[in-house]
Amino acid sequence: MSFFVQDRRCLPAAVAAVWSIAGLTGLAAANSPAPPACDDATFLRRASLDLVGRQPTPEAVDAFLADRSPTKREDLIDDLLADPAWAATWGRYFRDVILYRRSDDRAIAMAPSLEAFFRERLQTGAAWDEIARDVITATGVPSEHGETAIIIAQMGETADIAAEISRVFTGVQIQCAQCHDHFTDRWKREQFHEFAAFFPRTAIRRGPGEGIDRFEVVSFDRDPRRGRGKRPDNPRRGDLEHEMPHIDDPSLPGTVMQPRFFIGGRGVPLGTPDRERRATAARLITSADNPWFARAIVNRIWTELVGDGFYDGIDDLGPDREARSPELLEQLCEEFVAADHDLPSLFRVVMATPAYQSAARSRADATRPVGEASCPQRLRADQLFTQVLAAIGVEERQAAGRAGGRRQVGVPRVIFNQTFGYDPGLPRDEISGSIPQALLLMNSQPLARAMDGDRRGMLLGRLLVELPDDRELADELHLRTLARHATPAEIAVCLDHVRESGDRAAAFEDIFWALVNSAEFIHRH
Amino acid sequence: MRSRRDILRMLPAAGFAAGVLPFGDCVAAHAADLRKRHKACILLWMQGGPSQFETFSPLEGHANGGGTRAIPTTVAGIRVAEHWPAVATVADRLAVIRSMTSKEGSHPRATFYMHTGYLPNPSARHPTLGSIVASELAGQRGGETGDLPPVVRIGGRGRGDSGAGLLGMQWDPYELRDPTRSPTNTAPQVSAERHLGRLDLMERLGSGFARSLPQEAADHSSLYRRATRMILSDDMRAFDVSREPEQVREEYGEGAFAAGCLLARRLVEHGVSFVEVVSNGWDTHQDNFARVADLAGQVDRPFAALVRDLERRGMLDDTLVIWMGEFGRTPQVNPRGGRDHFPRSFNAVLAGGGIAGGAVIGCTDQAGVEVVDRPVTVPDLFATFCASLGIDPAKENMASTGRPITLVDGGDPVAELLS
Repeated sequence: MSFFVQDRRCLPAAVAAVWSIAGLTGLAAANSPAPPACDDATFLRRASLDLVGRQPTPEAVDAFLADRSPTKREDLIDDLLADPAWAATWGRYFRDVILYRRSDDRAIAMAPSLEAFFRERLQTGAAWDEIARDVITATGVPSEHGETAIIIAQMGETADIAAEISRVFTGVQIQCAQCHDHFTDRWKREQFHEFAAFFPRTAIRRGPGEGIDRFEVVSFDRDPRRGRGKRPDNPRRGDLEHEMPHIDDPSLPGTVMQPRFFIGGRGVPLGTPDRERRATAARLITSADNPWFARAIVNRIWTELVGDGFYDGIDDLGPDREARSPELLEQLCEEFVAADHDLPSLFRVVMATPAYQSAARSRADATRPVGEASCPQRLRADQLFTQVLAAIGVEERQAAGRAGGRRQVGVPRVIFNQTFGYDPGLPRDEISGSIPQALLLMNSQPLARAMDGDRRGMLLGRLLVELPDDRELADELHLRTLARHATPAEIAVCLDHVRESGDRAAAFEDIFWALVNSAEFIHRH
Repeated sequence: MRSRRDILRMLPAAGFAAGVLPFGDCVAAHAADLRKRHKACILLWMQGGPSQFETFSPLEGHANGGGTRAIPTTVAGIRVAEHWPAVATVADRLAVIRSMTSKEGSHPRATFYMHTGYLPNPSARHPTLGSIVASELAGQRGGETGDLPPVVRIGGRGRGDSGAGLLGMQWDPYELRDPTRSPTNTAPQVSAERHLGRLDLMERLGSGFARSLPQEAADHSSLYRRATRMILSDDMRAFDVSREPEQVREEYGEGAFAAGCLLARRLVEHGVSFVEVVSNGWDTHQDNFARVADLAGQVDRPFAALVRDLERRGMLDDTLVIWMGEFGRTPQVNPRGGRDHFPRSFNAVLAGGGIAGGAVIGCTDQAGVEVVDRPVTVPDLFATFCASLGIDPAKENMASTGRPITLVDGGDPVAELLS
């Protein structure tokens, strides 16, 4: 039975079959009542945020609720996957995956090209192994070649490039074996340094431009005594082969390592030029002989969509980590490989599962099997920013902030990213709200102005005139902020507040504020 | 007209101190006393790994010293690198540990290690020192934490830094990038009463969400109440270093690090338990000597002024001041005039908090390579912090896996420093 069916109308049945193979149908019932499926409005908001990074418009909510088609959820997913915003949203996501681990802050300047690389590759239907190959073998100036991001983010440091490529594309955090044999995993120090030996000739030199283009990623295969070196502040610049430092005394000569991949043990001889070395590394990493390539991305996408992963860390897998619901993971991986690493197919399958489509449950404890229920996630900074703008009825080009004394479009998004951004590699229960986040939403002057009921140019000012009925206005504000209609109890709370306040505009400012600052607003649930 | 403090008292107690203690008059009365005399800790963090040789372990008469001169201090026999003339004048309050030793030579891992006392481990979320200190000190006084965030980090880059981990988000550091500007979005946009009314409305409208996702809703409410309590507090004036007399500002000197140190003292005075002030740029792989001279120029005066100022105000005995970075730097100068990462032997400086001043702990061989006397490991150092602050290092917290984790991973305090 395959998840990756040609006719997606067969998908729900296929998923159900695999679900029972993986033993998941009876499992929830044994522990506690399985959570029910989520309602349509919740599904619409969840899928929209997950795929295109924004909540649905009030019109889209009503159209979806009114749609009687039995395949409306599948149709929605198809539409959203075809939306250019899908590639843009996930381009931003992979930007965070790579740049949050930067060792050099100057790499932030390549965020636009990094986003653009992933966006264009996803938009044109590139498979995940092609994307991996591009990143592993990247060369060029950063502003034009976003695929150089890992190398730039680690400033050409051989061991760090190796560690990041392993983390992002295999989910094996072998860098812990850099200094000593791994404490808990099987990796030996030699294995890390053999893997690092694929990258000593991947170098950064002075680029042709300014800003981030002061750097350029090149293959460096010349004799170091004649050419410019690997990095300006490295005393052992220009080493053509990677050395494992002496374990007791780093000032003593190290051991020259032959490039070899820690899964399967294949490699290339010393002396191999950079291009061939990295092409081989890419081939070995993406090969069907390396199960961790598929597991890493399947676990990543699953964790982001369902909110709860097969492993405790989204990018910390490996043979010494125990997967929860391993049968389900293996099934998904097999099918993903059989579908030639096609990402939209992976999204379709995950989103068709009962786990994805269930009502959200508070973050499950680690003993629960994966696949029981969807867990709420805090919105990523870009999602939240887009959602705040939509809620207050402001276009991004109208929203400007100050940078260097000038008003600039784009600044508010940066501020949101600095305040709400988080490393997607962190365990989800570690990502908590901060006081600056609460202050930005509840107490910033630009937002207060945008939500001012006395300003006719602003959304609330307009709605107060357009919707004289308090009930309708309360419902409209719910639709615009939470992408759902208000419940009767919520309407009652709002009407009470308007009555007690005696000032209609002020009362609805309060209601608007309470909705934008609600826990529901900042979660995808 | 009611004062903000009166209004704050109207806030329901549950949001505060995680319900440990009602936010009542007894606590408020106690708070004045608390402000006057409470234990606290200020960490001066040198991000990048400061060279021990150009700071407080100068190597005279050896090529590895790199030509850096040493100068005498107020304590006979203790000499420091030439870039620290102000610190030299308070040496009698300082304990210089010259025999720190560790194995962790990568920035993120060593930064984590020196902040938590533990190596990073995916199965346990080790809390940062500030969170440990703040939660333990709050425990010592019945859960009360004051209106300002109990842990403040000034001048950090806001990434990859360790947080409260398993202790929970209420102990996460409050990050302040620029100490000379008032913290962002803290000027109340509406009256205090209206703001509190809005919070109440938010919770009533959120009751449906709270029924299905109680944990997320509770965390959210608790965060909003802490943020509200902060911005409506009279203690917010602590953030305004310009209120400080000209003479005091002059003593601390110019620059962001100086402002950070002065702010740290003000925050501690207003009930904050732990303040970290970050100085960036100590990763001197090249041009070590000029760069350290410049960096020391930013840190020397405020470090000395902080110690003096705390002492003048009678706060030094209760406030532990720590100067350190993630590791030291290679004794051998590299061909770029730099020094590379060297965790094998490095240094740290302590002051206040009952630590004996005018002391030097341990030493290395003449080449500055090996610790030959009184090695101090990272757990030893953390045990010393705990002893100074009256915290039990063997206290256990539970990791999510159910494994108990002690505050400090073994280690013995440096007994010579504790009176």
